[in-house]
Amino acid sequence: MKRWLLILALISAQAALAAPDGKRLYEENCSACHQSEGKGGIGLPLTDEILAQLSDEYIAKTIRNGRPGRIMPSFETLSDAQVGAILKYIRGWSTKPAPVFPKVAKRGDPARGKPLYEKNCQRCHGKDGSGEGSGTGVTLSREREFMVMPAALNNPGFQRSASDAMIADIIRRGRRIGGMPSFRKKLSEGQIGDVVAYLRTLQPPPPVRGSEEWAGKAAYVMESPYGFDETVEALKQAITGANFRIFPARYLEQGLTDEFSVDTRQIGIRFCNFKELYHLLNIDPRLGTVLPCRINVLERNGKVLLVSPNIVELSKLFNNRELSEVAVIMEEIILAVMEEATL
Amino acid sequence: MKRFLILVLALLFSTPLLAGQPIMMVRSKLKAADAMEVLKETVQEYGYSIAHVQRCDGGMAEFDYKSDFYRVLFFGKIDEVRGILKRYPEMAPFLPLKIAVIAENDETVLAAVDPRALAHLYGHNPVLQVQFARWYNDIRSMMEELRHYRKK
Repeated sequence: MKRWLLILALISAQAALAAPDGKRLYEENCSACHQSEGKGGIGLPLTDEILAQLSDEYIAKTIRNGRPGRIMPSFETLSDAQVGAILKYIRGWSTKPAPVFPKVAKRGDPARGKPLYEKNCQRCHGKDGSGEGSGTGVTLSREREFMVMPAALNNPGFQRSASDAMIADIIRRGRRIGGMPSFRKKLSEGQIGDVVAYLRTLQPPPPVRGSEEWAGKAAYVMESPYGFDETVEALKQAITGANFRIFPARYLEQGLTDEFSVDTRQIGIRFCNFKELYHLLNIDPRLGTVLPCRINVLERNGKVLLVSPNIVELSKLFNNRELSEVAVIMEEIILAVMEEATL
Repeated sequence: MKRFLILVLALLFSTPLLAGQPIMMVRSKLKAADAMEVLKETVQEYGYSIAHVQRCDGGMAEFDYKSDFYRVLFFGKIDEVRGILKRYPEMAPFLPLKIAVIAENDETVLAAVDPRALAHLYGHNPVLQVQFARWYNDIRSMMEELRHYRKK
């Protein structure tokens, strides 16, 4: 027993003393989106040009804060040493040193910055600074040579991570990879300060909310007054009426057991609107983890139940405001379909 | 005591996979079609049966929407699925389990919902929490195998 505890103590001490491995941490936590060596994908490419514009403090804070409402999660559980190790590993790809910006920049006037923002920045970054354009990174059919979406300047994660001086520097220099021009010759230093001051006033839009009745529940569940087969037919008609394409129905146990043992009184009616699917996958390619749209019909103790995932609750897993907005609309449609089938 | 030691050792050596994130993701160096084949084999090695593969890319192509390889693998264990659905019909939307296989140039991203992220929607039901943790461990291990897999 004592020997075991000693071994455990030694292992713990070794684990605690060992310096974190930046490469391993990057591959475990970042490479799925940013790709190996920061080539970019679902996440921002971490190229020489981009790294040369971002301070160590900004990158560390971005790892910590993430981007609420966007794909980038916050890695609150990583220790300072682990974040530092990732940072050191990322910096190893760059031939340029990390920029260091003054802690306190000269503050401009947001009132003077507003018209300048509207004239020079709004076209790409949006009126409220939410970054205009769906999704992030490169996926599906997006043009790979134009891989960076305009930054969401009103995002609380960005606001907490970026210093005034760093934002001013990006405005001055532009960013070739995303098509952002340099404003060095177009705006004076004072005007750049005014734009930065205005950016600080931008607020994220309020969170979207779905139906109060179903909030916090995993699934929409309705009981049908009809028999199993009648309910399935009524459901198919209601789905078709809502302009979805229906796939061949599948028993929930299909493929998991032989065809003679499958419970045929629990079936999934799968449907899709491909135009909407394409749009949504471009916002967040990970959406496949909850696809396809499906309403299940189950017979339980003489009752026929319709069960469909609560897509507003599921959309919260994706940390993406645009998806959440679509989910609220889809919730209304799915509930209407379920109600129509059980009228 | 032995169980406690195993638990402590497991915690010490466990590698977090996007620790604490509701969507689990890994990148595989394999091309998407190869990753799908390896995933199918891996899923079966873990004792699951493959229910079917949803070809989202094919569906979109029918409607002239250009897409890279994008498919979803559905899998499960019949006894588990039966047992869960008998007690909790509201679990039907989440069964069978699934992993999305998404091409990114010559590499592949695999993504799945961390089942534990659903626990709060089921009132932290202790039976389901244990099941969610088991599924999480299996999915995580399978995805890790894909992350480390190198073509021979």
